[in-house]
Amino acid sequence: MAAKDSPLKQFEIDPISNIELGGYDISFTNSSFAMLITVLVITLFLTLTVNTRSIIPSRMQLISELMYNFIAQLLSDTVGDNGKRYFPFVFSLFMFVLIGNMVGMIPYQFTFTSHIIVTFALAAVVFIGVTILGFINHGIKFFTFFYIPGVPFYMHPLLIPIEVISYLSRPISLSVRLFANMLAGHTLLKVFAGFVVSMPFFTGVFPLAFIVALTGLEILIAFLQAYVFAILTCLYINDAYHLH
Amino acid sequence: MPQLNPEFFVSQLFWLAVFFIFLFVFLWRVSLPRIATVLEKRQNKIDENLSSAKELQEQAMEIEKKINDQINKAKLETDEKIKETINALQEDVSSQLSSLDKDLEKKVSDAEKEILKSKDDQMKNINNEIINITKLTVGKITDIELSDNELNKVIETHKGNFN
Repeated sequence: MAAKDSPLKQFEIDPISNIELGGYDISFTNSSFAMLITVLVITLFLTLTVNTRSIIPSRMQLISELMYNFIAQLLSDTVGDNGKRYFPFVFSLFMFVLIGNMVGMIPYQFTFTSHIIVTFALAAVVFIGVTILGFINHGIKFFTFFYIPGVPFYMHPLLIPIEVISYLSRPISLSVRLFANMLAGHTLLKVFAGFVVSMPFFTGVFPLAFIVALTGLEILIAFLQAYVFAILTCLYINDAYHLH
Repeated sequence: MPQLNPEFFVSQLFWLAVFFIFLFVFLWRVSLPRIATVLEKRQNKIDENLSSAKELQEQAMEIEKKINDQINKAKLETDEKIKETINALQEDVSSQLSSLDKDLEKKVSDAEKEILKSKDDQMKNINNEIINITKLTVGKITDIELSDNELNKVIETHKGNFN
């Protein structure tokens, strides 16, 4: 457990109400609350802004349409026509991670994407889904995914294990990338916030200015990581359709 | 590190599943179809406008072609008319000129006849005068009375000298 003023204290989970189901503790926590806020923001925004369904969009409606087109474009660029079926999933994933990261940028608000269990669960869903998809599309031939054509035969004993390991490490790299980015960013912010308080006289403005700049960077990273999560999901889906 | 504390793993996974599944189903069933409808509607509208613009353009080109045709036709017609008018005028002028020529010729010949006639008359008068003068002169000088016939005869014999 982190100490009282530790930069990691912000990642601690506090139950808001204790719930137990079938012997498991499923308390509604500050993490769950952040998820609730995220889901509410996404659903309300996407529903209310498009409520009028006007052909000439309002500014807010335009934002919704831009996000829709952004992911639709991403999916059609990477997967092609097959990708349309996975659009709702990839869009949900992107919005959930993006708004989750953004909600985390609000001071004193919890960042659920900074928890490895959450990001790993999302990555695992992608990984398992893509693997099942690969077997549905190619059957047993999906294993040829690990066989790289056009390579000298004596290289295969080396390359096939590498391919298998890189495939199996996908959920880990996907989840750790997002988790580590959020963890590092928020920790850094907290560390410099500590400097603002502890430095003598007016010198605290320097770390404060740094925090301001870093906040901008963190917002960029919040978007970038959501984008990376979405684009990697698209690429994995593409792999399930097109073997080497 | 609180992230590695398994105490709340089940709770996190449970609420993640609840919220993410809700989000997925809601977006899939409600939000995304709405946006898709709007985008489709707009695309249809744009396509419609584009096709009607194309149609109008074609119509405009057709009309332009018609106008050009008519202008050309009118030009040809005008040229034809101008040519016709010029020809008619030329014919008219030449016929009038020829009739004028005829008139003039006639007048000239008339005038010539008149002149000849008056010349004859004058000659007769001159004859009479000569006769009278001769009679008078001869009467004054000589007391001989010459008859007109005698004088005429003399004059006739010398007529060649007068002319």
